[in-house]
Amino acid sequence: MNLSDYLLATLGVYGLPVLFGALLVGSAGVPLPASLLLVAAGSFVNQGELDLWPVLALSAAGAVLGDQVGYAVGRWGGRRLTRRLGGLVGGEQKIADAEEWLKRRGGLGVFLSRWLLTPLGPVVNLTAGASEYPWPRFLLFDVLGEALWVALYVLLGKLFSDRVQEMSDLLGDLTWAILGLVAAAVLGLILFKQLREPEPR
Amino acid sequence: MKRLGWRRWLILIAFLLAASVAGLFVVRTVRRAVYWSRHRDEAIRPWMSVAYVAHSYRVPPHVLYRAVNLTPVPHDRRPLREVAREQNRPLEELTADLEKAIGEFRAHPERYPPPPPQPDGGKTR
Repeated sequence: MNLSDYLLATLGVYGLPVLFGALLVGSAGVPLPASLLLVAAGSFVNQGELDLWPVLALSAAGAVLGDQVGYAVGRWGGRRLTRRLGGLVGGEQKIADAEEWLKRRGGLGVFLSRWLLTPLGPVVNLTAGASEYPWPRFLLFDVLGEALWVALYVLLGKLFSDRVQEMSDLLGDLTWAILGLVAAAVLGLILFKQLREPEPR
Repeated sequence: MKRLGWRRWLILIAFLLAASVAGLFVVRTVRRAVYWSRHRDEAIRPWMSVAYVAHSYRVPPHVLYRAVNLTPVPHDRRPLREVAREQNRPLEELTADLEKAIGEFRAHPERYPPPPPQPDGGKTR
């Protein structure tokens, strides 16, 4: 039995505490199949084994708490590391520029990495903390994104309650496909702009 | 063609990498969607409980409980792996029994009368 099977079996027996714990730890950055657990929880709701509202509330609470752990680690641990590595990526000014950009556009990044580009979630938490992205704003976009993610996956699990494993596998591949397409589009745009400008010496 | 500097090469490589990942996962997603549309049943896995298998295969739970010698009251939420261990037999054997019972039920559903009413009002499955 692999880790996913083990977690699903434990969710089936112990229910909500497992869901809350796994989402907290998963959102903090430990690679756990959190999306699979949400889909499975939706199926258990459909079968009358779990109640919908506690599932939604505890899942979102676990995920948001886990994100705060990532943010805190980035804010108090990552700051020093960022400064030390600053020289490698172009010095203090580059970091200041990146932080300024994050402060202006970061909200969208936080929001999208909660439900659409989920593999980026833990990295975005650390980056937001390290760049001192304002915490109340981080929390707002975090709660909105996680609520959407939890509701979407639990409801999909409820709707396709007889095909938990297949639904989750499909969503996993779809997420990576979207992430790859977004990354390729952004990098393609940067490359296109760079090719139109003369090479800096 | 313009000569590319090292920074542009890096962006180009990253772009090609991202495009490859995107292509790979688009293909996998499409394959899964096609498989989904052509198959009705998902494979039985060790994490599933007997109740989940019954739900997934649209078979009355009591048919499967009987097939693997389990009492449906109180509702048994243990995963198949644990049931197999308790019955001291390989998981594959338990899974085969479930698949056989599902096949037989689907071939002759009329041979399986509904279970007697539960003492707790039918809350258990």
